[in-house]
Amino acid sequence: MQADALPAAALHLLTFGLDREEFGIPVTQVREVIRVTEITRVPQVPPHVRGVTNLRGRILPVVEIRTRLGLEPAIVTPVSRIVVVEVLARVLGLLVDRVSQVTRLPADSVAPPPEEVVSAEADYVTGVARWDSRLIILLDLDKVLPLTA
Amino acid sequence: MTADENPFGDLLQDYVVECLPLAEQVGDVFVELERSWRAGDPAEELLASVKGRLHTVKGNSAMMGLTPMQDVAHALEDACALLARASERRGDEAAALLIAGTGLLVDLIRTAPADGHGTAAADFVKQVNGFLAATPHRPTEPEERRQGDRRGSGSTGRTDGTDGASSVVRIDFRRLDALLEVLGEGLIQQSAFAELHRRLLRRVGPCEELGELDQAVVAMEKTLKRLESTLMETRLLAVSTVFGRFPRMVRDVAHAEGKRVRLVVAGGETSLDKAVLDRLNEPLVHLVSNAVVHGIEAPAERARAGKPAEGVLRLEASSVSGRVVIRVLDDGRGLDEQAIRGKAETLGLEVRSADSAHLHQLIFMPGFSTADQVSRLAGRGMGLDVVAGSIHGLGGTIEVDSAPGQGTTFTLSLPVTLAIVRSLIVEVDRERFALPLTHVAETVRAEPEAIREINHRGVTQWRGDLIHVADGGAILGTDAPVRPPRRFYVVMTAGAKRRGLLVDRLVGHQDVVVKGLDPALGRPDVVSGTTILGDGRVACILDVVRILDGARRAS
Repeated sequence: MQADALPAAALHLLTFGLDREEFGIPVTQVREVIRVTEITRVPQVPPHVRGVTNLRGRILPVVEIRTRLGLEPAIVTPVSRIVVVEVLARVLGLLVDRVSQVTRLPADSVAPPPEEVVSAEADYVTGVARWDSRLIILLDLDKVLPLTA
Repeated sequence: MTADENPFGDLLQDYVVECLPLAEQVGDVFVELERSWRAGDPAEELLASVKGRLHTVKGNSAMMGLTPMQDVAHALEDACALLARASERRGDEAAALLIAGTGLLVDLIRTAPADGHGTAAADFVKQVNGFLAATPHRPTEPEERRQGDRRGSGSTGRTDGTDGASSVVRIDFRRLDALLEVLGEGLIQQSAFAELHRRLLRRVGPCEELGELDQAVVAMEKTLKRLESTLMETRLLAVSTVFGRFPRMVRDVAHAEGKRVRLVVAGGETSLDKAVLDRLNEPLVHLVSNAVVHGIEAPAERARAGKPAEGVLRLEASSVSGRVVIRVLDDGRGLDEQAIRGKAETLGLEVRSADSAHLHQLIFMPGFSTADQVSRLAGRGMGLDVVAGSIHGLGGTIEVDSAPGQGTTFTLSLPVTLAIVRSLIVEVDRERFALPLTHVAETVRAEPEAIREINHRGVTQWRGDLIHVADGGAILGTDAPVRPPRRFYVVMTAGAKRRGLLVDRLVGHQDVVVKGLDPALGRPDVVSGTTILGDGRVACILDVVRILDGARRAS
């Protein structure tokens, strides 16, 4: 099961964890992964915006991806990370519980999302990959992140 | 110019940037020409002075394939050439034609490359041809000149860019913004060095190397401060870039109102950050047209009052201790205190004992228009309350002074820049916020017995007035498991509004580099931007004007 041996039709994902679940987003949308320093709360922001942080002199909005996906707000721990992504020409940070790794998957390991998760709200789940005894939920960030409340 | 934009877009922008001021200047000269001719002065040199500018506009328009502009500029050239020879044709008709043509030219350039004005341009060319034809000895020379011009136009277009003697470069303002960002990062890194030095000093105690490090850090700070002031100067534009539009506007408004008004401009070289200037234009347009429509009387009324028939409108700018003061003065009838008093009473305000100064302040209140009838030009949707709001939004102040029969003066005081704002840093529930100092009247130690509660709202006596004192945590939505004591309140002001804000700690003063709000953050009411503090943390900059507006709505 070497990544090199995979056919050309492969998915290149960054995977991160929220609670016990593992999520995957296309590596092409990821700029970098940073440690969590101070996140400054901003009054009256839309739901799911945790605040802003200083990314080398740039103000980076930090999205509380957990509440966006229906989970409790994150508790920042030493393994928490901010995944800096580029979505619809905007740069945002996603606050995640942990970052696993960059993974290559064969495209045929992806199954459509199970019936029970497909609903109007959850149209951001594009599929579920089973690979190496792991279960990775694939997210469409373009659908997760316009936070029009 | 950034590489990802289409080159034609950049060229077009260059065209507008270069030609718009030229066309506006030509318009100003024509307004002056009209005045001179009326006064019996042939003003040959004025007429001659527009030639080069019209020629450049024509040449550049031709290069860009913008035929309507090219045709209008050409027709104006022809008309000027005729008037230079045929002095008997000089007069109101000619001046009106020239001014109308320049107005059209300015509009065409401003909306370039919109294609909708082709017919207007053609109509104007016809009008000029009619004017030319009405001269008995119409010379054929312009036709010949036309050929020569077309050939020459390509080289006349970009004289300022290629002129070896010129030391001026044109630069995209966004690049200056980017430079400012980089500088902001440098300032933050410098304070990180300073902080490290302090910690090292505490850990290892004084030593020679640390002394040198301290000197290096201080030297670096000085260098960065110099870079900051040089960069800020680069961002400044002369106020005349905004004032330049007024001669023609005043003339047009006065004409429509049947008034005679002379505009006197002073201090046009005073400079302001472009971002401030951009937002200043609209309020100024309103104040100036207001002065012509409501301030200055019609000639007959002025004659009855023993004043010269021609009113004087002065537009003055000057630098006063780090701020720019702009004054709009007219020698008209002054504010109608009787009408203001009447209006105030219909609104249920207590004004029986109000003095003039108090009455004058009322005109900045919403819905307070004392004009007898809505004027087509001055009423344009923006009341004085909106003018005052825009000025406050810029961190500025506006005041009015008026004497019956002698005129009205509006005085605006503005910060030179919006990019770096001197702020008071406060702490509420362990979060830090920046309050622009222009909106801070005073900081006061909050003695519990000095703040009373009326109707569930804190109030206190401040400089003889009762003011509302609000909890910082309630306004800013902060949340702390154990609320720290609010030891101070900051008296915030915007115009006549004031309100106290209870905070835990006053951290200090700092020049903060303003960073905008990312669209992902929505549009919070109480925050106008963010900044990075010396320790690298992000702090929100409070929008005092809107916080105080909210205070009024709530009460």
